[in-house]
Amino acid sequence: MLALKGVEAGYGKLKILRGIDMTVPDGAIIALLGGNGTGKSTLLKAISGLLPVWSGEILFDGEPIHNKRPHEIVRAGLVQVTQGKDSYPGMTVEENLMLGAFSRSDRAGVRADLEKVYGFFPILKERRKQLSGLLSGGQVQMLVVGRGLMAKPKMIMLDEPSAALAPKVVLDIFKQINRISRDLGMTILVVEQNVRMALLLASYGYVIHDGKIHLEGDAKDMIDDDAVRLAYLGGTVAEVESPALHR
Amino acid sequence: MLYDFLIVGLSIGILYGLVALGISLIYSGLDIVHFAHGEIFMFGAFFGLVLYDEAGFNYPITLFVAMILAGIMGVIIERVFYRRLTSQGGGYTVAGMGMIICGFGMAIILQNIAFLIWGANGRPMHVNFGMPVELGTITLPQSYVWILVVSVALMAVLHLFLKHTKLGLAIRAVAANKDIAYLMGVNVPLMISLIFGVACALAAAGGVLIAPINYVQVEMGYLMLIKAFAAAVVGGFGSLPGAILGGLMVGVFETLGAAYISGSHKDIYAFLLLIFVLMVRPTGLLGVAAKVKA
Ligand SMILES: Nc1ncnc2c1ncn2[C@@H]1O[C@H](COP(=O)(O)OP(=O)(O)OP(=O)(O)O)[C@@H](O)[C@H]1O
Ligand SMILES: [Mg+2]
Repeated sequence: MLALKGVEAGYGKLKILRGIDMTVPDGAIIALLGGNGTGKSTLLKAISGLLPVWSGEILFDGEPIHNKRPHEIVRAGLVQVTQGKDSYPGMTVEENLMLGAFSRSDRAGVRADLEKVYGFFPILKERRKQLSGLLSGGQVQMLVVGRGLMAKPKMIMLDEPSAALAPKVVLDIFKQINRISRDLGMTILVVEQNVRMALLLASYGYVIHDGKIHLEGDAKDMIDDDAVRLAYLGGTVAEVESPALHR
Repeated sequence: MLYDFLIVGLSIGILYGLVALGISLIYSGLDIVHFAHGEIFMFGAFFGLVLYDEAGFNYPITLFVAMILAGIMGVIIERVFYRRLTSQGGGYTVAGMGMIICGFGMAIILQNIAFLIWGANGRPMHVNFGMPVELGTITLPQSYVWILVVSVALMAVLHLFLKHTKLGLAIRAVAANKDIAYLMGVNVPLMISLIFGVACALAAAGGVLIAPINYVQVEMGYLMLIKAFAAAVVGGFGSLPGAILGGLMVGVFETLGAAYISGSHKDIYAFLLLIFVLMVRPTGLLGVAAKVKA
């Protein structure tokens, strides 16, 4: 679905990504791990078009997207949910969600997807008329994921959905991400510092360090073999048992 | 008498509000303070003059076409001249400073263009609205009725557009956070053009509405800008309802001041109000300290 070849990008003259190769197959959940400031968010911004790609190529569904502008990439079916839980605090929950569907014109489909999102996150339905600035951190995370889904993407990229949330809330959100992948057949790239949670969810993992892919492999093997090394690279290892996630 | 002054003050004030609304809209959408907005208002008035007096359109069509023309003019100015600077970041950044100077420069250029086309002499717009309307004890010239009705209608339409249409939602999103709006599939540069065009069209409406009661002249933009600016600050910079409220307050305050205190100091009252409001409430009446916009 998504393929990166030798992607380089950065800010101004400062090069952050120094040749990233990565593949995200159809329908898979892929984890992108790494410590603070290693370039994870920068990579997502480069993929979604917020940052220009200096060299290399990015193929989405076989089409090059590295020269496209962000709204065109959304229309192609690739949506990014940013780090930092950026909702529009001055808009209601439902307005936020409808904004996610901005690129669509199939009203009936949008209505149906709104109900699907409310199905994944019932609390959003309860609070749909309230300003999203009044939601708790976990609820905002649900909102921004739901908002991403409203675009009816083929693939969604989530930037640190677990950040700054209590373990129980994280588990809750990861369960829903798992359900979204299963029920909608959604392809997902999840960026995480919560290494263990991400590897439990994903089938394959990449570790980025200093703007390069440092390590990659099947998620199962990574959990068993590399937990210590991953933690050493800057990740955190949450104490959550694996069966809890897949229930 | 008081009621007459009040209604005149409200009419003038709502025009300040209309121009201030554009300034606030641009500020919330582009993070810049547009110092050439008074000149857009002036061009709008001249467009009206040409369309009505020379081309012979009726008043409503004149108003509509002048708004469209000013809107297009605004989009071109934004695309060709401002975009380079705003794309480097507006607001308080170094590019933002450049933007302020660029706005002043644009104001001077537009004044000179207007001067070359229409000359230095002020001209009235000869609209015959017919008999004044009698409202109880008040006799209100129809030009004021037009000002009030059209301004309120434009504000209502803008409100409905921003609150209840998909495009309006996208504009509010762009005003609040451009990156996220982009990631929602919104064509952000296009929305910015749209914001600018709408703001300029509102200013032009103000120009066409004031033309029947004031002389249309090249310098008219300057005084309007500072009044509208005062209105925007009084109401809370960047707040759209604030711009309207501020405009009405400035209009009423200066009309009453001119009537009951001294007519020759009319233009001072707006700033007395401004200073007073800022002393009591530094963010303006409806302003918020943090930038939770639109
Ligand atoms: N707008 C920017 N301008 C300049 N440098 C930036 C900018 N944003 C990030 N950087 C730098 O780029 C590097 C990578 O940042 P990035 O946000 O991609 O890290 P990250 O892996 O997402 O980290 P985190 O886990 O903390 O979110 C950092 O050194 C950071 O300081
Ligand atoms: Mg990050």
